[in-house]
Amino acid sequence: MLPQRLKKTITDNPKKLANLIDLVNLPSPVREFVGQSQISRLGCFMRVWSYIKENNLQDPNNKNLVNCDEKLRSILLGKSRVELAELPALIKLHFPKVPK
Amino acid sequence: MGKIPPSIRPAISNSFTRRVPLETPTQIPKKKSPQHSRKPQTSLGSTKAEALFKSPDLSSAKKVFNCIVATTKSSIDLRFHNTLLQSYASISALHDSISLLHHMVKTQPSFSPDRSTYHILLSQSCKAPDSSLSAVNQILNMMVNNGLKPNQVTTDIAIRSLCGVGRIDHAVELVKELSLKQSPPDTYTFNFLVKNLCKCRTLSTVYGFIDDMKSSFDVKPDLVTYTILIDNVCNSKNLREAMRLVGVLNESGFKPDSFVYNTIMKGYCMQSKGSEAIEVYKKMKEEGVEPDLVTYNTLIFGLSKSGRVKEARKYLDILVESGHFPDAVTYTSLMNGMCREGNALGAVVLLEEMERKGCTPNSCTYNTLLHGLCKCRLMEKGMELYGAMKSAGMELETASYATLVRALCREGRVAEAYDVFDYAVESKSLTDVAAYSTLEVTLKWLKKAREQGLAV
Repeated sequence: MLPQRLKKTITDNPKKLANLIDLVNLPSPVREFVGQSQISRLGCFMRVWSYIKENNLQDPNNKNLVNCDEKLRSILLGKSRVELAELPALIKLHFPKVPK
Repeated sequence: MGKIPPSIRPAISNSFTRRVPLETPTQIPKKKSPQHSRKPQTSLGSTKAEALFKSPDLSSAKKVFNCIVATTKSSIDLRFHNTLLQSYASISALHDSISLLHHMVKTQPSFSPDRSTYHILLSQSCKAPDSSLSAVNQILNMMVNNGLKPNQVTTDIAIRSLCGVGRIDHAVELVKELSLKQSPPDTYTFNFLVKNLCKCRTLSTVYGFIDDMKSSFDVKPDLVTYTILIDNVCNSKNLREAMRLVGVLNESGFKPDSFVYNTIMKGYCMQSKGSEAIEVYKKMKEEGVEPDLVTYNTLIFGLSKSGRVKEARKYLDILVESGHFPDAVTYTSLMNGMCREGNALGAVVLLEEMERKGCTPNSCTYNTLLHGLCKCRLMEKGMELYGAMKSAGMELETASYATLVRALCREGRVAEAYDVFDYAVESKSLTDVAAYSTLEVTLKWLKKAREQGLAV
């Protein structure tokens, strides 16, 4: 069922999927964070999320909050505290729409 | 809950594959007769000789063969030759396989290839992508030159191999050619081909083929053929045509069996036409066709789907009374109906009843229930169920995953939603892209809802 579904997503909305999985040249702060010069938006999100988990950056009292360390701050607008809910939106900022 | 939750679909389609066992009978008569002993050889080939031929190169294959002959003291029988050939054919080009066969015949005078040997090559020639049937005909000519006329097994192997790789037009062409040479397909081959035609050609093409076979070669459609056709038109929601086919079927002197009735009932149920489905059930009773488990499952599914859970429940009792055992499909259909009515707690009670009666719920059952619980905002029960699914390593279905993530976010439990996302990715329930898209869209929606003061 899934491949069909995915296929449908692609045919329905090729652009939306493309901007999720296409590799993008990264601006320097993100480049330093992920350690490579190109990554997709999905890959970047996965990287950041697993970084948060590995370093136990979720607030122990409220798991919905992330206490950013210095490295993370550098790519999340310098905020010391972000909500998990806004994580995708914050990451998206590094992946601006390509002008036509 | 307007739409059919996809969680129910697998259960239903499972019951349908069970309903139309069109292919299963095909194997049985083939295995009975000793001359068609292709199957066991194939399995032998994969176990014994697979590692022998490592490269598709002909000269090294010959060396391997010579080596085997030299080191084997007892005489090598036909089956062993076939096994070797089969194993080589699975990796080589057709002309190399033919050369290897010639080499075998030349070096081993005691070996005389029989029908099954040529069937190996035939199947290989059918599986190769080709724009014409020339390679297939080459093998058939080889057979004839060696005094072996193609028979129904030959036809069957060729057609199945051709259909297996999507060369359906060639399959039709070959069936007609072989029918001209007095080797018409048996009913199994014929029905297999009709079924495949239904999948990828228009209805008129299928009818044309059936008419052709009937008028030119006296191959008549049987009850199974009609069941395939009815199933096909029902799937494309053309119930009027299905009814016409039932008429034709009656005129040709066939009496509909439970498969035919089940198929029609499925057609109605898919369109949520509960009353019509019950009519079919009554008709079955009138005609003296005993409803089976599939009949009841279909009916319960259809009634649940059209919001008539009470009646569906009644049929569960009738099912038990008539000596059948309700299975996971029965219960899941009923639970789906209850969840649609907003009675997710009732569905949980039913799950307990089901387990008490010794029927094991499957992943579809759990997904249906999870979907229903989240929809009814019974998050504690839902998370409990999710925990059980997680520890059993069950996959999440797209719909139940999306509902769960959304319900968690709505309650401000974003971290838990991330956990669910992690589990979905880790258990490979969904692709990363699908799982992430859902999460992203849900969080976007959450932001909007918060701005409007609709969510925590």
